Amino acid sequence: MSSTSQKHRDFVAEPMGEKPVMALAGIGEVLGRRLEEKGFDKAYVVLGQFLVLKKDEELFRDWLKDTCGANVKQQGDCFGCLKDWCDAFL
Amino acid sequence: MSRFVEAPAQLSISRLKSDLVAHNVALPPAKSKKVVYVELHLQHIDLKNAADFSSDEEDQVQDVADEEEYTEMPDPSGLTDDELKAALLEHGFKAGPIVETTRALYEKKLRKLLQSNGRGCLNGVEKGVLYSDDEEEEEEDKELGSEEEEEEEKTVKESDQAQQGSSQQLPQEPVKDTIKNMFPNTDAMTPGIYATRRRPIKGAAGRPVQYAYPVTPVSPMTLEKREVERRLVPIQIQILVFLIVTCLLYFIYVCVEDNSFSSAVALLDSLYQQSDSQEGLLLQAETQDVPALSGQD
Repeated sequence: MSSTSQKHRDFVAEPMGEKPVMALAGIGEVLGRRLEEKGFDKAYVVLGQFLVLKKDEELFRDWLKDTCGANVKQQGDCFGCLKDWCDAFL
Repeated sequence: MSRFVEAPAQLSISRLKSDLVAHNVALPPAKSKKVVYVELHLQHIDLKNAADFSSDEEDQVQDVADEEEYTEMPDPSGLTDDELKAALLEHGFKAGPIVETTRALYEKKLRKLLQSNGRGCLNGVEKGVLYSDDEEEEEEDKELGSEEEEEEEKTVKESDQAQQGSSQQLPQEPVKDTIKNMFPNTDAMTPGIYATRRRPIKGAAGRPVQYAYPVTPVSPMTLEKREVERRLVPIQIQILVFLIVTCLLYFIYVCVEDNSFSSAVALLDSLYQQSDSQEGLLLQAETQDVPALSGQD
């Protein structure tokens, strides 16, 4: 099982509230800007997309790749982050 | 991976039909006698097999795939949301809500499923390495059998085919399920395992030993601690000075408590006297010595 980054741990530690999309693990400045341009300006909007895809890993990864061009590692980090957040708070 | 060639007369009608479909041969009208099927099988398939054995399989599979795609609403983007959802369900994938943002993804998924169904035989080869050849053939037959049903041919023998398919399906399902149960959360597409580079052992295998480590970003807490530590050495001196001052003050306080300043003076005088007496003794000793010395003369 891969270890989690500090960003992941920070995100999963508390309800996301109004955190920006760049607070998600795997989403840095560049990807965050691209997501914001597409209208996903807050982390909860990406969470919405994640839930609409019924937390399916493959579909969410594809969506991330198509929307902001995330690579495999970034996709995995973001998916894992949201999944853990949902396990904790949803 | 080899297909055992059997005499067509020994095969069942359902098997003959599936073979004919696989070789893209038009099937005779329903409820034809077995002889008709056997003849067609002999005509087309055995000739083909004689010509080129191995490469046929791929062509067959692709032909079948093309046929299937044509019959099965091939253009996912032309479907309505409900139709798309139904098509995905047919392939065993339960889709979530099909909204604007998810539609493109589900269309892509359907395309992938359509392709993989057509190439399921080839993919089955990879998994087939684990299974015996018999099971693999059964797999192909089952797939072809199910595809046949979709073509809406209702014959009496179809029920036999279904029975055969279901009975063949049972021994396969436990095997498939155990493999899927080993990795419940992953599907074939995602790798699920990521290799991260192991931290190299210092000095092993000729690797340079790193003596100076890069400065790590320091949290405010450690910065505060470091500042306090820097002050600790002068702090000890400060404490010493403080103690000396307290002693002096206590000393004076005790003296003042006697309500006489003179006693303090007396104390000081006594101190001087002590020192004076010491000096006096010394002087006396010297003067005594001197007269003693002078007395000797």
